Amino acid sequence: MADLNAKQIQKSVKIAPGAVVCVESEIRGDVTIGPRTVVHPKARILAEAGPIVIGEGNLIEEQALLINCFPENIIPDKKDVEPKTMTIGINNVFEVGCISQAMKIGDNNVVESKAEVGRNVILTSGCIIGACCQVNTCEVIPENTVIYGSGCMRRVQTERPQPQTLQLDFLMKILPNYHHLKKTLKGNSTPAKKLK
Amino acid sequence: MASLLQADRVLYLVSGEKKIRSPLSQLYYCRYCSELRSLECVSHEVDSHYCPSCLENMPSAEAKLKKNRCANCFDCPCCMHTLSTRATNIPSPLPDDPAKTTMKKAYYLACGFCRWTSRDVGMADKSVASGGWQEPENPHTQRINKLIEYYQQLAQREKVERDRKKLARRRTYMPLAYSEKYGLGTRLQRQRSGAPISGLAGLSLKEGEDQKEIKIEPVQALEEVEPLPEDYYTRPINLPEVTTLRQRLLQPDFQPIGASQLYPRHKHLLIKRSLRCRKCEHNLSKPEFNPTSIKFKIQLVALNYIPEVRIMSIPNLRYLKESQVLLTLTNPVENITHVTLRPCEEGDQDDLNSTATVAVSPKELLLAGKDAAAEYDELAEPQDFQDDPDVVAFRKSNKIGIFIKVTPQCEEGEVTLSFKMRHDFRNLAAPIRPIEEGEQGNEPIWLTHHVELSLGPLAP
Repeated sequence: MADLNAKQIQKSVKIAPGAVVCVESEIRGDVTIGPRTVVHPKARILAEAGPIVIGEGNLIEEQALLINCFPENIIPDKKDVEPKTMTIGINNVFEVGCISQAMKIGDNNVVESKAEVGRNVILTSGCIIGACCQVNTCEVIPENTVIYGSGCMRRVQTERPQPQTLQLDFLMKILPNYHHLKKTLKGNSTPAKKLK
Repeated sequence: MASLLQADRVLYLVSGEKKIRSPLSQLYYCRYCSELRSLECVSHEVDSHYCPSCLENMPSAEAKLKKNRCANCFDCPCCMHTLSTRATNIPSPLPDDPAKTTMKKAYYLACGFCRWTSRDVGMADKSVASGGWQEPENPHTQRINKLIEYYQQLAQREKVERDRKKLARRRTYMPLAYSEKYGLGTRLQRQRSGAPISGLAGLSLKEGEDQKEIKIEPVQALEEVEPLPEDYYTRPINLPEVTTLRQRLLQPDFQPIGASQLYPRHKHLLIKRSLRCRKCEHNLSKPEFNPTSIKFKIQLVALNYIPEVRIMSIPNLRYLKESQVLLTLTNPVENITHVTLRPCEEGDQDDLNSTATVAVSPKELLLAGKDAAAEYDELAEPQDFQDDPDVVAFRKSNKIGIFIKVTPQCEEGEVTLSFKMRHDFRNLAAPIRPIEEGEQGNEPIWLTHHVELSLGPLAP
């Protein structure tokens, strides 16, 4: 019974009220989505090797892939490996087609279109990963760093990118007109289904 | 698409001062001299200046004054992309009532690629969308301008003295252009291709300017130089702050070391150029004046006049074994063209690079004219050409496929071969001499081109 309950809790998706998550998006595993977050259709959030916690005010666009996956050389063995949580802060933007496997992402970051962020990267705040840039290193990207260009050049900018409040407001108004939304939690009710 | 066509596998030889081999798509055809011309045997002339981002045309005099830079557009000093102007709302006090604040628009420059903004170097936001941005002043401008004026005056004085000596006997007025020390005034001087352009070109003063005496002070050499700071070798480098060589050299008058001194510069203008045949002085290529238009007023490209050879399929090539290669010949003109191929003779001086021998049929090939309406005309009878199936593989409107037999002669390396293509060309240009009675005025001339093909490596 306890095992079954645990499995069920792992598979649920908790969407806070105020978030707009389209039905066409694919969300698997234990995912928590904060309020004022917009998840576009065809976005994929896969919590394979552990839960994903997404903060508020994030914008996850089409075909973006947020995946908490197993490291490549470790064979998934349920007993040994502890599920690591992937945390994503507030006001981040994941543009179209990006792939993010970073375990810890801070606030106000922008991962531009078709960029790839590897598993061992930690984004602090205000970082911008430019379009088509692949960051596969094992490091903590300092604050306000911009990675751009085919050679992944870097520079530091003086101010963090602005949170996309206008865009978020617009999307939260328009998306429900054209898409069905996934059900959000109501108040404090538990999401676990009751076994019969 | 260009890599799919692999245009550089078929090269045509251009006979000129230098023997140049280049694909037909990069060549021009002078129909007055009846010869192929490449970019190196034509003279390039600047037609007009325009800015690549705002597409604004600029007259040459104005361009020279502004040092060939656009007045409105800026380049990002970090990634050389074009900067765009963005606006923010800033609360600022009303001029009448300092207690209340109103939202005013403030503009700043931002790069969409590397996210550089004008606030990064400390440039304040401007209240006007365009025209408020200034480039920083070079501290040495005054000295340089003074030096240039001094040398202009020197050149003028020397020219007057030289003219006076030459005109000692004759009192006729000699045109200015013939004796310019610091300039490339005459056509004769300019036409020499590759002649080094003197740095002081075009500095000659116009006649009639006041002969003011300008004195310059020689530069003083200092014995004591500022010492380096003590921690110059031990200070840790802040890598994001150091500018790259490219960023530094794009601003040669400042060459800032730190990224916080990288100011944006005005965007460079681009030119439209026209090409002119050196022998007959006719224009080969003349673009339209309007920067937004990509058409040409005169466009004598070789592809429109010379049949094009393309490689269609290559079998496995083996050393000393004869194999058949399929080529296509396309006719660009509207009348029927007769083409004859023949192999290069022994001891041909143009035949430098071949590593294979080729056997082509000596028969004359007929290429149908290019008919733009052919696909819509269903009633047209297919023309009967009676092709030899050994030579002609297929025929499709103005294109035919032909077989040639290739025998590689070298064991290693690429297989290259060459042959001569002879075809007739009807000059549709207006006849220079009046048409006499009984003459059509359109007699074909026969042109021969040396074509080289590169077929790739031998099969293993």
